[in-house]
Amino acid sequence: MILEHASPLLVVIPLMTAYSILLLGPKAWRYARVASLVSTASLVVLSLTIAYQVSHHGPVVYHFGNWEPPWGIEFLIDRISAFFLLIVSSISFLTLLFGYGILFKEIKEQVIGYYYALFLILLASLLGITSTNDLFNVFVFLEISSVSAAALVAVNGNKLAIEASVKYLVLSTLGSGWVLLAIASLYMVTGYLNLTYIASALPQAFADYPLNVLATLGLFMVGLTVKSALYPLHVWLPDAHGSAPTSSSAILSALVVKVYIIIFLKLVFRVFTLDFISLVPLQFSLLLMSTLGIFLGSLLAIRQTDIKKMLAYSTVAQIGYVFLGIGLFTYNGLMGALLHILNHAVMKAMLFLSAGLMIKLTGRRRINTLNGIGRVYPLPMIAFSLGALAMVGIPPLNGFISKWYLGLGALDGDQPFYVMVILVSSFLNGLYYLPIVINGFFGADAKLDQVHPIPIGAKIALISLSVATVAFGLFSNIVVQYLAPAVQQWFIL
Amino acid sequence: MFDLVKLGDNAFYSMTIILFLTGFWIMLSHSNLIKKIIGMNIMESAIFLFFVVIGYISGGTASILGRDDVRYINPLPSALILTGIVVSVSVTAFALALVVKLYQHYGTVDVEEIARIRRNEE
Repeated sequence: MILEHASPLLVVIPLMTAYSILLLGPKAWRYARVASLVSTASLVVLSLTIAYQVSHHGPVVYHFGNWEPPWGIEFLIDRISAFFLLIVSSISFLTLLFGYGILFKEIKEQVIGYYYALFLILLASLLGITSTNDLFNVFVFLEISSVSAAALVAVNGNKLAIEASVKYLVLSTLGSGWVLLAIASLYMVTGYLNLTYIASALPQAFADYPLNVLATLGLFMVGLTVKSALYPLHVWLPDAHGSAPTSSSAILSALVVKVYIIIFLKLVFRVFTLDFISLVPLQFSLLLMSTLGIFLGSLLAIRQTDIKKMLAYSTVAQIGYVFLGIGLFTYNGLMGALLHILNHAVMKAMLFLSAGLMIKLTGRRRINTLNGIGRVYPLPMIAFSLGALAMVGIPPLNGFISKWYLGLGALDGDQPFYVMVILVSSFLNGLYYLPIVINGFFGADAKLDQVHPIPIGAKIALISLSVATVAFGLFSNIVVQYLAPAVQQWFIL
Repeated sequence: MFDLVKLGDNAFYSMTIILFLTGFWIMLSHSNLIKKIIGMNIMESAIFLFFVVIGYISGGTASILGRDDVRYINPLPSALILTGIVVSVSVTAFALALVVKLYQHYGTVDVEEIARIRRNEE
């Protein structure tokens, strides 16, 4: 019975937990962290069952209030959505587990309940965007995610974070505006809001109104790339992710920017389809923007002195990899992009969390003051090094696998230039990650006044993320096999 | 050739484009944050108007069943945009709250001024 309603529960559970936290008020806030941990843990279980169902019985479909589409709202979870649902719920569970001991000290006491509520609302919107098959529903969830993500940046009320949050909110509302305009013009020519129905009506609509359909694709492209921070539309990202509290940065960098890529994938491959894409210069613009993003993101990251700002610029580069994989429009390229969504989520969450932990424990956030920290606090520095090595793409780790697939995709698409892009940018990654690792272990003494204990929740979260980094490198074939049918069906030409 | 008659027929659509561009221009060109947010609102209103116009038929009435002799407009876009307006109000409220906070910290709502103050601090 409950399994039948598993997909709406993905949105209902975090929303209900969030509103209960707000309704019960400050007196109940000490239970808030337990409540949010329990609800994210149940989300992990739910998305696991959904992923199992999808792989054995095909896509999970849910009609709200039993209204059949095209009238009602439909949730449709295919393999790729199920895969992303699992990433979202597990990374946010681990982030909350990490925050169990340390987050309370970083967020002001009087807003901690609001923080958990916003976190869960953001989570609900991410899960909703991934599951829904209705375009207007996508827009509503998009706006929920913009507001709650901007609020998560500003939550501490320091002036840098507020400034970053205003910038983020304005640009991301601009992006949603473009997406809504695109939805309107798609509705105008097809008469549907359900993606499956739009896909079936689109060829006729394109024959009748080619300009509208082309404009729609352009608007979606700009709106969604602003929100997922593809270069040169990334301007909001470094400030927002760099000045936010650690747990917010981890979620924003690891998950929030990726969810828009998932919508983009759905639109490009399921709605517009490859036949249509070959008529427009989408491939050219995606490859150009992602190559620029990969290089300039890394070059700007090298210049940073603040460790979190550096990680934020590195996200700009990594988003470039994902779009590069999509832009190649080959089976292996898209597989690489999807794997990189997973691997980057794991690596970046781990990097942000371990960097945040070191900042919290030592009170230092400039890169050149972090010398010798690894000898005092081995665990966060080891986790950071593992994440850094995976970012560079050292073979047994997960970052290597996604780069390998991206390279194969580039060769399949007869574009060996992009293999060079991947190789050169890996050196650039090494340039800014490895000095931190080397100085962290072998640099001069850290000269810390006192050594704090690391909370147990943070230890468990960092160890599980480290294990995941190695495991997804060694056993990547499980993920590839899970995704293969979904990716293959888009490339039958 | 630029067809004025066609433009007149689609007066609502032309109006939405003008409004959209006005809002967009205000967002880009003004450094005052309050004005930026007003521009954002104008732009969103233009999109909402565009969405509603899609369902409009000139001479049509509200879709209340039981009358055979009249043409109905499509009620779905209007219903959807009600949600859109609510969303835009909450975004505006939140953005203004953030601007108030910024004003408390910097004593100005001008982004260029804020950037200058920050440079001086560094």
